[in-house]
Parts: sequence; C-alpha cells; structure tokens
Amino acid sequence: MKPDPSFTPEITVFACIYCGYMAADTAGSLRNEYPASIKIVRLPCTGKTDIQYLLDAFEQGADGVYIVACSLGNCHHEHGNERGYARMLQARKILESIGLEPERLDMFFVSGGMGASFAQYAQEMTERIRQLGPNPLKRPFPIADFEPHPTS
Amino acid sequence: MYSGDPIEAGLQQERGVLVIGGGVGGMRAAIDLAEAGIHTYLLENTPSLGGRVAQLGFMFPTHDCVLCRGTSDHGFGCTRPAITPALMDHNCHPNITVLTSTDLISCEGQAGDFRVVLQEKPQIVNASLCINCGRCAEVCPEIRPSGFQLGLSSRKLIDKSAPRSLPNAYYLLQKTDRCEDCRKCVEVCPTDAIDLEAAPKPMEIHVGAVIMAMGFQPFDPSEMPELGYGRIPDVITSMQYERLASRSGPTEGIVRRISNNEVPKRIAWLQCIGSRDQRNPYCSSICCMYATKEAMLAKERIDGVECHIFTMDERAFNKEYNFYYQKARDDFGINYTRCRISSVDEDPETGEVILRFPAGRIHEEAAHGQGAIQEERFDLLVLTVGIRPPKDAVKIAQQLGINLNEYGFCETDKFAPLSTSRPGVFVCGAFASPKEIAETILDASGAAAEAMRIMHDQLGSRTFSRAQPFLSLESGSTVQEEKPKDPAISVVLCGCAGEISNIIDLKTIADQITHLEGVKKVEILPLACLQDGKQQIRDLIRSNGANRLVIGACSHRTHEPLFQRLVAETGINPYLVEVVNLREHCAWVHPQDHQGATHKAYELMRMGIERIRHAVPIIKEERKPVRAALVIGGGVSGMTAALGIADAGYDVHLVEKDNELGGNLRHVYYVAEGDNPQRLLRDLVNRILSHERISLHIRSQIVRHTGSVGDFRARIRSQRSNGSFQEEEIRHAVTILATGGKEAGGSRYLLGKDPRVIPQSELEQILAHQPERATRLRSVVMIQCVMPEDGIDYCSRICCTNSLKNALRLKMLNPDCQVVILYKNIITYGFREKYYIEARRRGVLFVRYTENDPPRVRIELSGSRLKTIVDIQENIFGRTLSFEPDLLALSMAVQPAEDTSKLAQMLGVPQSPEGFFQESHLKMRPMEFADEGIFLTGMAHYPKFLEECITHSLACVGRALTILSRPTIQLGGVIAVVDPDRCTGCLTCVRTCPFGIPEIRIDQVGVGGLDGAAWINPARCQGCGTCTAECPARAIQLRHYHDDQIRVGLGQWEQPLPELAAD
Repeated sequence: MKPDPSFTPEITVFACIYCGYMAADTAGSLRNEYPASIKIVRLPCTGKTDIQYLLDAFEQGADGVYIVACSLGNCHHEHGNERGYARMLQARKILESIGLEPERLDMFFVSGGMGASFAQYAQEMTERIRQLGPNPLKRPFPIADFEPHPTS
Repeated sequence: MYSGDPIEAGLQQERGVLVIGGGVGGMRAAIDLAEAGIHTYLLENTPSLGGRVAQLGFMFPTHDCVLCRGTSDHGFGCTRPAITPALMDHNCHPNITVLTSTDLISCEGQAGDFRVVLQEKPQIVNASLCINCGRCAEVCPEIRPSGFQLGLSSRKLIDKSAPRSLPNAYYLLQKTDRCEDCRKCVEVCPTDAIDLEAAPKPMEIHVGAVIMAMGFQPFDPSEMPELGYGRIPDVITSMQYERLASRSGPTEGIVRRISNNEVPKRIAWLQCIGSRDQRNPYCSSICCMYATKEAMLAKERIDGVECHIFTMDERAFNKEYNFYYQKARDDFGINYTRCRISSVDEDPETGEVILRFPAGRIHEEAAHGQGAIQEERFDLLVLTVGIRPPKDAVKIAQQLGINLNEYGFCETDKFAPLSTSRPGVFVCGAFASPKEIAETILDASGAAAEAMRIMHDQLGSRTFSRAQPFLSLESGSTVQEEKPKDPAISVVLCGCAGEISNIIDLKTIADQITHLEGVKKVEILPLACLQDGKQQIRDLIRSNGANRLVIGACSHRTHEPLFQRLVAETGINPYLVEVVNLREHCAWVHPQDHQGATHKAYELMRMGIERIRHAVPIIKEERKPVRAALVIGGGVSGMTAALGIADAGYDVHLVEKDNELGGNLRHVYYVAEGDNPQRLLRDLVNRILSHERISLHIRSQIVRHTGSVGDFRARIRSQRSNGSFQEEEIRHAVTILATGGKEAGGSRYLLGKDPRVIPQSELEQILAHQPERATRLRSVVMIQCVMPEDGIDYCSRICCTNSLKNALRLKMLNPDCQVVILYKNIITYGFREKYYIEARRRGVLFVRYTENDPPRVRIELSGSRLKTIVDIQENIFGRTLSFEPDLLALSMAVQPAEDTSKLAQMLGVPQSPEGFFQESHLKMRPMEFADEGIFLTGMAHYPKFLEECITHSLACVGRALTILSRPTIQLGGVIAVVDPDRCTGCLTCVRTCPFGIPEIRIDQVGVGGLDGAAWINPARCQGCGTCTAECPARAIQLRHYHDDQIRVGLGQWEQPLPELAAD
C-alpha cells in the first residue's frame, strides 16, 4: 500500500524533564531540523508514563506515540525509565489485541546532549507512521487552510 | 559579573567566602556555603563553569552522566555543566555570585578578614542580555578549534563553549585586530548585547575565607615525543577519547579514528603517561579506572572491538571498583598487559599504530616465552594521561601566599588535609593531590565546613527559601493562595526578537487561542525575558485580574524560574504558570516549514493552556530544624564530625559503644608521613571532653531511630558503670554514621596456628613498642590482600601503604633484615608512591602473585626447630621462590564494624556488597544517603586513611550545617500524594518506588474504612511519579502532574477554526 502523500502524521511524544526534554532543547540549539509532526508532553520522569496515558493518546486520535527517556542506567530516578519501558511493552500488547499496529508506539533512550539523535528519531517515527497511515480511531475533521502570517 | 537574577544590590556589605575555580569541586563548595546562609563568590577564569568534569562523558564505575543526582533538592534538570539547579542562570542561588572570566589579582589580610582584588576580563557579550539566538556566531568569519571538544571540532571566534554552558550565553574567545573592522556580530545582535570596546573591570571583595578548587591540568604527552602524539594521527589523549565517547561530543558518542573517520577495531591504552615516572614520581590515582571505563564503553558500543590496556598495576581501590575491574577483565574480555611499551610507530600504508613490548605479560598468565619483543597493531592508541598541577598554580600560590609541595600541588597537612600553609585559605580537589570526583566532592564540602567554622557567626544569616519552586532570598512563603479560583488565564506569546516570530505566525495563534476555555487575554511581546517584557507581563496580569499565566517562549528548563518568580511577585502561586517551548522545540527545528510550525505551536499552546487550567496551587510544608546533631561512633571520624558541628555552635550527641573514645586510632602508632597519630588522638579527645556543646554518651548504643530531616528522634541506651542500663530520648536534625571498620580475622596462611604468623597491626605494635626485637629479625615476609575465607574480594585501600610504612621502619631499625612483600597490585595512589619508591631503594623485595596462584605457607621441621616456609610462584623467572621468615605479617582486609547491619536496618539505609553503608550516589553524593539528613563518614563508608576520614567527616559537617543553620526547611512541592480513601494497601507503590519511600501505615484508613493505607513521606518523596503510574486504583497523584493536567490533548491535533485561519 502506498502512503497517502497528503497525510501528515500527528505524533505525541512523552519526554522526561531530564534527558528527554533536554535532548529536544539541544536539537533546537543545534538547529537539527525534523518534521513538525510531533508534540512533546513533559513528564517528571518516564517512570510516570502511565499505560493509560499511552492508550489515551491513541484513543484521542494520535497516529503515533513515543517516549524519550534518559539512557538506560542513567535515569535521574534510578530506574524510572525501565518501568516506563515495561509499560510501553505492555501497552503495545494491548494495541495489538485491539488491532492497532504496535509499531505505532515506541521508546527511545537518549542523553541530554543527543540533539541530532532526537531529530533523527522524530524523522524515523514520522516516516514509520506515514507508512502505517492514519490512526483509524481519528475523528474526521475538515481540513483547514492554515496560512501563516509571520509577524516578524 | 553575573549573579542570580533577583539580587544585585547589597552584595558588597557583609563578609563572604571566595571560592576559586568553577569546576565540580568549586561548585559543590559554593553551594554548601550558600545553603548555610553565607554569601559566596564563585570565581572562574574561563567564561563557563563546569571545569574538567563537564567534558567527561561518563563516570566510572556506574557509567552514569547524572550530575543531576548531585543535588538533594527537588529541583530539576540534568544540570551539566552546573551541578545543581542552584547554579542555573535563572535560578542561581541567592547567596552565590558567579564571577566568570575573572582573575585573582591579590589577597591581603588574615583569616576572617581578607581583602581580595579581582579583575573581570572585558565582557564583550553581556550575558544578561544574550538570548542565545546564535546570530553572532552565524555571521562571525573567524573559525577556531573548539576548546570544549579538545580540538575535535571547530567553533567561531564568538560562540558558546557548549550548547548548555553556564552562564548560558555566547562569548568572544579573544578580540583580534580584524574584529574592529568586521563588527558583524555587533550589527546582528538583536538585544545589543555585544560591546567590542568593553574594558576590564577591577573589583574588591571582603571575605572571611578562601577555598581553592583549581583542579588540575592533564599531562601534555607532546613532552614525550616517543609516543607519537601530534605526529601519528590516531594517537590521542584520554581526554580526547572522553569527548569522542561522550554523547555531547562531536560524534554523539561514536568513537572514530582521527585519520580516516572509521570505527576502530582494535584500541590500546597506555597507562601512566606522565605518572609514576622520573619526572612525575607520583600516581595520578584515577587513570586505571577511567581507562577501564573507556575500554568498557568501547566494548559496549563497537561490535567485536579488541581492547588492550598496558599497565603497571591495576589500582582499583574504592567501593565497587574491584568488581568493576573484574567485570572488565572477565566479562568484557579487556586485555591487561603488565608492561611499559618499548616503542610506538605508525604503519605509513594503513595508518595503524604499531606497538612493541615484552611478550608474556598478559594478566594472570604464567611466564611463557617472556622477554622476547612482541609486536601488535592498533587502529587507535589512547594515551592515559596523568594529572599535573593546575596551569597557574605557581602564580595563584604567590598571590595567596601559600606553599606548594615538592610536586607543585598545594601543600597540606596529614591531620588538617584541607588547610593550606596560610590560615583561612583552604584547598579542595585535585589541586591538593590527584583524585577522582567523589573525593573532590568530599574535599569541597569539607573545605566549606572549614570556612563555616571561621564564619560561624554568619551561619544562616543570609536566609533564603525553597518555599517557592525557585530559590528566593526571603524566608517563609509570601504567596498563600487559599482556594483555587475559577481559572482566568493570561497568555503571553514571546517573539524572542524574531527567533520565534519569524517562523511562527503568532498573530494567528493569538487569534485562535483567545477562544479557548479560561483564556482571558492574549498578548504578543517582542521579548518577554528582558526588563521591558517582564514589566509588560506584570502589567498584563495585574490589569486583567488573571490568576494563571501561560507563556509561549523558550525552554521550560532554562526560563521557568524566571517566569515563576515574576508571577509570584504579583501574588499568584508560582505553580500556576506554564512555559510552552515555542523556540527550541518548534521555531528552531522547523525553520523551513512555517505552516507546520505554526500548527504545532498552536497545538503546544493549547495543551499548555489546558494543563494550567486544571492546575492547583501548591504550598510547601515548613519545618524548623531541631538545632542538634547525633553522631554515632567515637573514632577519629565521629570525633571530627562532632567537633565541627559543635564549633559552629550546635549541640551534638556523640554516642560511643566502647569504654573510651578513639576507635582504631588508638592502635595506630605512627604513619608513613611521619606525623604522630597519638597526638591527634589526645587532641581530639581533650577537645571533645571539654566542649560545652557535646554530650558524650559512652558505653552507649542507639536502639531506636525515627523521623525525617530536621526532626529525628533517637533512643540511646547506655550502660552505667555499675552495669545497669539507662535510656534517653533525644531529638535532632541530622544523624552522622561514623561506626568505623575493623581488621578482619580468620585463619588463612596459618594465622592463629603458627606464632610467627601475625596480622600487620601486630607487626606495627612490635615495631613501635619492641624495636629491640626488630633488630634481631633476619627475615620478614608480608602477604597483601588477605581476605577472610568467606569474604568477598575487594581492595582495602590502606594496607599497601601500611605494609610499606612497616617495611621502611623495619629497614631503618635493621637494614640487614630481609623484607619481602608478596602482592597482587601495589596500591600507593597519589603521593604515597613515594614510599613504594623508597622501599625499593632500600632493598625491600616485591614479588607479585596472582589470584589463582596465591602463596603457600607450611611448617617444616628442621632439626629440632619448626620453620615457617612461604612458597610463591615468581612469574618473571618462572620459578618457585621459598622464604623462611621469622615473622609472616598478613595484611588483613578491613571489614565494616559489627553493628553496621543492625544500624542499617534501624535507619532504613542500604549497605554495599562489601557490607559497608551504601551512600546515595557513589560519585556525586559520597557523604549522604537518599534520605535527607542522614550522613556517613570514615571507615563506615569504606576503608580509608586518617586524612581521608577527617576530610569525609568535615564533608558531613559541611552538609549537616546547611540543615542546622536554616531557619526553616521546606518540604513537599512536586510530590506524590495518596488518597487513602481509594487505597487498598496492595503494596504496589511500596515495590515500585525507586527509593523505597511509600509505606503502609496503620494510622491511615484505607478504602472501605479498613485500617492501613499507603503513605508517602513528603520529606523524602523525589517526585518522579513512578508510583502514580503503577497504582492500580489510581489512588496516588503527583502534584503539578495530576491526571487531569496530563490526560488532555494527548491525541490528534486540533484544527484551527477555519474562519479565523483564513484570516
């Protein structure tokens, strides 16, 4: 199946305020570009990632979801990121059981300095979701014309 | 000059403390002093804080980068290169004045009253106006090698040292002749922050004490041309390797060859480059471990890579280091070869590095074919460079009038290890002697404690508060919002001088979000974070009766405290402000996609507004700490800690289980350095006994310990002289565990069966008290690393130096006596290497044995006499050697004291695999537990030397005084709270918490009115939220991250209203 060229994935990212959020900041400082298809929800730690939040995101129509955490072994809260990872795997099983592709959900481990990697993961996930197509749970919306007016 | 945002005036009035050096040690010392209410100047001669540690990718042996664990407060942010949020730009500690790019000129006066003259270099970029847009660097035509990346990448003449430097601003490396003509940076700067004509600025400060934390200089291997550094491209220094392996390095952590950018397949490390040689006859202490770390990182990241380390001894002499080294060797397959290299050459065809070295020295192997020269090729050769004194050590020593030692490091005293030759001037970190991060941190807090002793009348005088999420100067909370009102949200969109507004259509967004629920007013500001913008925000909030603020600007990490402070001034609870990142997370990463960026920005703003609409005010609890401390253990560590706290003016309960004070120090008669430890003992005991603030509890033990920081309770059980017991209940703010260690026993090598076999401590007694017996000895053999039969293997750190001390004393008393030391590794780190050199010079024989082939001791009948025979396999000649000693001294391991386990259980603190107490973080918090207010010191932590025990105790004093001197401590904030009505007491949170904080309390009533529900101590909760995500009943909520705040807008993106979007 060929991906629909007009489809822009809408992806929700859960990031801890330590390495995850900081890697996104570093990507900004280094001007590492990536598609404007992700929005970041900040959590105090990816140990706070609730399976409910992941499922909420899909239920509310996100095409893809991923978590950005501190590198394994480097969690500010000892092993919060490992708990988050276990829950991500569990949520994937639930997605599979309701007929959604588990690849729509993923988790990446970065250090705060890894801006280029952050941008690369955003790119990768966007591409992956583009291939998978829109989340079937999405509500239909009229496509609006969103013309920008830079105020400079 | 740069200081925390809110305080500018009044800094010069009272006496402060000057900390020289903004590396990890200087930052730690400054923060401790600031926390104790003393004004601190943090002086750094480069433009950014962070020092060498900021350049390291990972720390051994945990491989973590988390400097953020260095802080015990609930602030956030991996704060590299700063050490805690207390040094972040917009949340700088109110008691710290950061003076970057500033040099020391002179220091007159005396302890308690120094006049220091400083000179700030020209501040060409005004850091307080820099918004980090980077336009200056973009237009700058001059390219230079990056200092932070050690020449592995380049930078502009005007640039940042690293993306997250501190102060968070650009700076000009050095003004060149061409700058005058160019001036492009001046033209493009949107905030007029650049002034090429800026002049140096002298200043004078008045301080009571000075702490030197100048760190070290890595050895420059170009001094040894035979190693090929600078000539062969793939020969690099270990610091350069750190940058390559660092995730913030030029390759984001992928190690590549310099010559052809390929990933290396074979890497070699050469140890002791610039250490343990003729010119630098000391051991740099850290290189064995960091080379092992670097090799392990290579193994983890590069498939099939071969790692060879060429070394003399493997010095892994701290907690967990021995396991780490064994793991590297046995599990990771890293090869350790014991030799110095004969030659380094380059293969001109392939660029490979060719090493020649004597064959047959692979670790733990017998000596097959030794002596022949072997040749191996490597893709990358890392020179493990040692530690040299800091570059300007001589100059600063002259300016401050302090002495340097024979190696050019700061001269210190064994029993006053942080004091210099000038009273009131203290030293910490690698400038005192080569040392690792953990010891630098200990030194730093200890030096802070020494400064606090001088300045004790000022402790707690500059009160500050954590009542707010940011650090503020006033005590107590000013914001007291009773009930959440209906949300009335002001929204500010910051254009960031075009950085945001050139990409994102803020006008459209403003039009769109006006219609969102709760939004009262939306305003677009050209620049929100400078003075004008801040005033406009204040006006906006006041004129609209808003009770919440959402601001679309830059990173929440850097600017949240600034906006929180702003709304707090207007009387709004600072937890009711939300910073949405439209710059780093949007405009800067989607510069080509205006439409996409605008849509995303709208979505981010919408989520931020929803999040704050559901937010509730948070008010922290306050507690006045009890002005007393409990110290458990009356050895050198406990006594030092007790005196430090008592001298500062707080009560101390000192609990000792024995009949008398002194602990192990009672049995140390002389030390390698020559000082008299018994004088130290007498001095400490006399001072303890006569101190009015110390209550001494002798023959006493703790039987109960409850409470949390600032308010602990303990029950002390003491035995009276008539044998009966009495119990006493005390209250205290901090507890220090100084329970010590003991020499292990056991029966290895015929100990206890043959009178000639004695522990090393007994040999010391003989040498001290029966020197005439020493003169009759013909042969003494010492065996190092004697672990008890059932013990695990670890290095006890002090035994090698102890044995050398005894060997040298023996040789002095009786030069003809044969002294043989059988060892695995000689651990004479730092300047102790001197005694190893001296022992060899005096003819002490050193024979190495391996773990798998230890010496054998037997008794043989010779005529009518029984002889003790020691056989050992000598690997260089490949023969078995036999000795017939008159005395066989065993260097027994040091074990934790008996009550360690009992106390650990009572206080709820962990133990290490060796059985010692386990601190909260091996590197960054070596003196404290995750539980605030409980500290550990001395041999209760790990075997250590006297001076190290003293330093460790002073570090505990420094940290303890930050609690004792605070008028109030604030608890809570962003913490997890249990709703007992929904709690079934299932224990999920108890098992899930990474810190073991939740407990089921019987005084809580759970679901259905049943007794027992979970309770999370607000003094301990770290606010990660892991329990909340796992609670099956959703009975736990994390404040500031309530489900209602997160479960909104998680899904598909809202489309803007079409009629407006078409506008």
